[in-house]
Amino acid sequence: MAKRSHKKFRLHLYICAGTGCVANRSLEIKEELIKEIARRGLKDEVRVAITGCNGFCERGPIVVVRPDGIFYQKLTKKDIPDLVEEHLIKGRPVERLMYRQTPKTPAIPKMKDIDFFKHQSLIVFRNRSRLNPEDIDEYINYDGYSALKKALMHMTPEEIITEIKASGLRGRGGAGFPTGLKWELCRQSPGKTKYIICNGDEGDPGAFMDRSVLEADPHAVIEGLIIGAKAIGAEKGFIYVRNEYPLAVKRIRIALHQAEKRNFLGDNILGTGFNFSIDVVRGSGAFVCGEETALLASIEGRVGRPRPRPPYPVQKGLWGRPTNINNVETWANVPVIILRGAKWFSSIGTKGSKGTKIFSLVGKINNTGLVEVPMGITLKSIIYDIGGGIPHGKKFKAVQTGGPSGGCIPKDLLELPIDYESLTEAGSMMGSGGMIVLDEDTCMVDVARYFLNFTQQESCGKCPSCRLGTKQMVEILNRITEGEGREGDIELLEEVGKNVKLSSLCGLGQTSPNPVLTTIRYFRDEYEAHIQKKQCPARVCKALISYVIDPELCSGCTVCAKNCPSDAIIGEPKKVHTIDQSKCIKCGICITVCPDKFQAVKKMSPVIK
Amino acid sequence: MITLTINKKKVKAKKGETVLEVAQREGIYIPTLCYHKDLTPYGGCRICVVEVQGWPLPVASCTLPVEDGMVVKTDTRLLKKLRRFSLQLILSEHPHACLICSKEKDCSQYQECIQKSVITFGCKFCSQNKRCELQDLVDYLGIKDIPFNFHYRNLEVERFDPFFDRDYNICILCGRCVRMCQEVRGASVLDFHHRGPETLVGTAFDLPHLETGCQFCGACIDVCPTGALRDRYGKWIGVPDRSIKTTCTLCSIGCSIRLNCLDTSVINSTPDDNQICVRGRFGIAPLVHHPKRVTSPMMRKGDRLVVVEWDEALQFVCSRLKDQSGKAGIVFSPQLSIEAIDSLYRLADSLHCHSLSAYSICHCAPFDLKEIKDEAVFIIVNTDMISDFSPLLLRLRECIKGKATFIVIDAVGGEITQMADLWMRPEPGKEKELIDQIFVQRKKRAYTNISAKDIKYVRDLLVGKNCYVLYNPFNTGNLSVPKEIETIALPSSINALKIDALGIDTPVTQVLHDKNIQCLYLCGAVPQLIKKYDTVIVQDSFLPPYEFDVFLPAALFAEINGSVMNIEGKIKKVRKAIEPRGKARSDEWILGEITRRLNFSGRTRQQMRRKGARITTYRSVGSSKAYPIRLIVRENNYVYRGKPLAQLMKGFERLRHDNHVWIHSSTAKKHRVKDGAVVQIIGKEMKLTMPAWITDDAPKESVVIFSHPSIGFIDSQPVRIACTKS
Repeated sequence: MAKRSHKKFRLHLYICAGTGCVANRSLEIKEELIKEIARRGLKDEVRVAITGCNGFCERGPIVVVRPDGIFYQKLTKKDIPDLVEEHLIKGRPVERLMYRQTPKTPAIPKMKDIDFFKHQSLIVFRNRSRLNPEDIDEYINYDGYSALKKALMHMTPEEIITEIKASGLRGRGGAGFPTGLKWELCRQSPGKTKYIICNGDEGDPGAFMDRSVLEADPHAVIEGLIIGAKAIGAEKGFIYVRNEYPLAVKRIRIALHQAEKRNFLGDNILGTGFNFSIDVVRGSGAFVCGEETALLASIEGRVGRPRPRPPYPVQKGLWGRPTNINNVETWANVPVIILRGAKWFSSIGTKGSKGTKIFSLVGKINNTGLVEVPMGITLKSIIYDIGGGIPHGKKFKAVQTGGPSGGCIPKDLLELPIDYESLTEAGSMMGSGGMIVLDEDTCMVDVARYFLNFTQQESCGKCPSCRLGTKQMVEILNRITEGEGREGDIELLEEVGKNVKLSSLCGLGQTSPNPVLTTIRYFRDEYEAHIQKKQCPARVCKALISYVIDPELCSGCTVCAKNCPSDAIIGEPKKVHTIDQSKCIKCGICITVCPDKFQAVKKMSPVIK
Repeated sequence: MITLTINKKKVKAKKGETVLEVAQREGIYIPTLCYHKDLTPYGGCRICVVEVQGWPLPVASCTLPVEDGMVVKTDTRLLKKLRRFSLQLILSEHPHACLICSKEKDCSQYQECIQKSVITFGCKFCSQNKRCELQDLVDYLGIKDIPFNFHYRNLEVERFDPFFDRDYNICILCGRCVRMCQEVRGASVLDFHHRGPETLVGTAFDLPHLETGCQFCGACIDVCPTGALRDRYGKWIGVPDRSIKTTCTLCSIGCSIRLNCLDTSVINSTPDDNQICVRGRFGIAPLVHHPKRVTSPMMRKGDRLVVVEWDEALQFVCSRLKDQSGKAGIVFSPQLSIEAIDSLYRLADSLHCHSLSAYSICHCAPFDLKEIKDEAVFIIVNTDMISDFSPLLLRLRECIKGKATFIVIDAVGGEITQMADLWMRPEPGKEKELIDQIFVQRKKRAYTNISAKDIKYVRDLLVGKNCYVLYNPFNTGNLSVPKEIETIALPSSINALKIDALGIDTPVTQVLHDKNIQCLYLCGAVPQLIKKYDTVIVQDSFLPPYEFDVFLPAALFAEINGSVMNIEGKIKKVRKAIEPRGKARSDEWILGEITRRLNFSGRTRQQMRRKGARITTYRSVGSSKAYPIRLIVRENNYVYRGKPLAQLMKGFERLRHDNHVWIHSSTAKKHRVKDGAVVQIIGKEMKLTMPAWITDDAPKESVVIFSHPSIGFIDSQPVRIACTKS
């Protein structure tokens, strides 16, 4: 329902102001639009507003025109005069700025008709592309803070907990612990002072779900926190955001300020006698601070190192008090569960995993971005129906879920329904929602090495299993990718990996071997090729590949020779060129510059002698 | 009461205990590495892991709180495998060649000589060989090989600081030193740097320990399981064959310590039950075995010093004492044993000697730490309790169940002023006014340059709480406070209370100025002499810096049996750890021999003449045009038998600079004094020459010196300073 004052506008332009589009100059486009609209005298008819991430980051900068829901993508400043003239004044939406699946297929004007969007189910992103995150009134107009009123005025804390338990909501940070149960345990812990925390540390490389939620709909998170505080009996909450999210920090601070002014936060909230306030704490650049005990240490001003559990934070958390920590996405689900009921929420998803999950779909995929899908949807559906499949006609190889703590799922398991249990059984995990698609040109050994390198650098260093065990594994993987793999390396990796999982102190160490163990499980042949045949089947590992020019395809255009930085290509014009392997540094420039019609440069593995 | 099952045995436990504590109590062995009973559990080494029924992963038992009905297994095949795995990984960063060498047995048998080398390649080259917890664990877990790449950190061994070395190449990152320094000692000098595989233990900004407020208490060394942190002195002497419990006599606290010895050497001294300080930790063994120690009786014959036998020396002493019996003066150090002091007292008595004097005379009362237990405010005046009385400070903290607040009043900065909750820095000489202002409401405020805000803060703090004023009487003089406030005087020397009880209160200056005295007997004392004497008898361990007639080599407290009285009035035992070196004998024996040989009968014993003792050398210091600088004199608490430790052991000089004159940087600039330059301090009737140490711990327009009788008896007074050619 639009704001009363907005009724006078006949058109609303929502410009995506998530970090991705902002980096792509969407705010400049907004300024340009405002100027052009004023110039054309449309100030009282057309409203320009920002909105949070639309999810289709591949196609940014994005503008959605409402009420029709026309979707414009890949806009530049130069497109604005045309847009204003044709669509806003003459009522003819501009086709060339619309989405097309491929350059040859017809344009799809409306957002709801685009594959990427139409297969999604929005709960957390319910206000996507129609809400200005910096305006509390817009949030209220979309039933914002109604759940809070219901919870504070018509429900007891126990009833709130019962509702959350019945909904089946599980922690969206990765572990998937039943949220209602966690709240109940925290409530039951003895002690008058309790705390609740929103974990916005989101450290997985490639994950940006929490960032987008905080930037797009901070009030949803805040409302969830207040309801949670009432249920548990906390008067103080903390939103812990990693420092690398300045826009999220800014939007939360604005939202908190606005919420306080409307008495949704502070003393005697809505006259019910309930007091609750929230502080924002910024992280300092450590992945391990996403681990709850390290996060607690960080808020307390100490170095972010995990401590053994038990006691768990719900028993002894911040400053020794019972503390409930939940992920951003978990909190954003709470208001809608309270408002629409547990029965409705638990009707979505599978038996063990209710509701929706946001995934960041990245990697070798046509439609890169954020997607919110019901639990139980198959991987195949996400990758092909929503993601649009693999670009450049390449073959799908695997999808990596759960970031550095997760594992890869191969082609054979594409029909796997997304659900906490099924992903764990396959050797991976849901994690926070990272989904990296890999194609035939990805080396699985290299992927394992990449993730293990990351966890090794982020390890806090307290226990030898993680600090040194991952280091030993990285060294073995480095050797393998450099052609120095030995017989027994795979077995050693498996053995060390299993022991690291069992003896590490915290979740970081316990899950760090997962990428290695799953790639060995499903792609053992690639490891064996690296070790026994010194071959990289995907032709990625530099030490195991050679660049060669196919004499059948080379036309002697000399472009590659001219661009080679080490003068390794020899050949007369119009004669077949060859690469001197002793000089080649495998930079790949020759493949890039060789004209598409020839595509004469190839990679071969094992190396040519 | 909680019941749980460990290895099929039902055991009882209390809520809040950990599984490891319960297991240890029940005699069930669980190997550990980063665990230490005095420190909070860390859970980092993963060696103490146990399996709990129904839990998916093994858990560290040192941090696992007991729960009713828990079923625990401590010794399964999986646990053995994981423990080996963790230890093998730890050893992948620690030179382990000897640990798994197949020739280890042969090597130990035939190559007994310790390989002192610059780099520790393995156990054979490590000073902690056979005393290392890693060796014990490797034996217990039966580790025969390490299937991992070996990474040597290749760091330089840290040898810059005094007293101990740090070789972080063999550190296993157990964190015990970090926890000890932070939790128990409260100095927080050490912490982990970086993270992940780059993790290292170190100081803030990698500064030398001398610049980080390290107290050099050695507590980190005592908990280090490997050879990473080790005493420099005695490092290579070997494994001790005995550990003798005795009492440290270097200050008035009289901590219980253990002297660790091998054959006739004292290797080092370590704490017994309570924490100790740098003096007791690093100042004893090098003192006992000091190269300048003289252990044979000597006499002056003509202009030569000749080594003689005891008989001859004692004969000489007795004959002189007999001849000059009415003209004898005795000055002694309180650091003798009580038995020796009693012998001296009797000797003085039999000589009818009225001039018996000791250093550090004061009238102090004993106190009981047990009486201090509730939340309290401590006001410390002119005394750096961390530098001089750190074990007492720690025990004060322990006694208090609630919060202990420390307010420091001192014109001179130091260790304690940095950690105080509030440091009030009045102008030198205005401490009395300040204390007055705090405790008594007066309309007219005396000028002390302390803000009204701070004074109000302290006044508010005192409401409803116990307050104790702690001070070294030498540095403050008489402090007058309202009756309700309890003052605790902290004399710096052991046996101070005993000497007071014996009624020995003649000031040393009085004895030294006495024109009648011709025969001076110095027993452990080395005061600056003002006149010439017929006879100078020296009973000590080191030669004095002036002429003497006879030298009687005395044993140090590590070499005698006896007792001493500490600051709390408790009698503590001193036990012999080694036989006295060379021909040295205990003071008690020497004095006993002299008394016996003298066999003096004669006049009846008269009451010792008591004169009003001047308790303190402190007074308010002004300044004048001729003497524009205020000289602040503080007592030097780092003295043994009259000799400052800084003179005998370089480490103490570097730590304390107490043989320097402290000058504020702005004052130094004004008078063009450079750091280390030799300056003269000239007063109306005194002149001192010493090197300068520029520090802002000294107040502006003042200089600070640490007094001990060997530089003369100097009061705080106005002076001027002059640079000499350095």
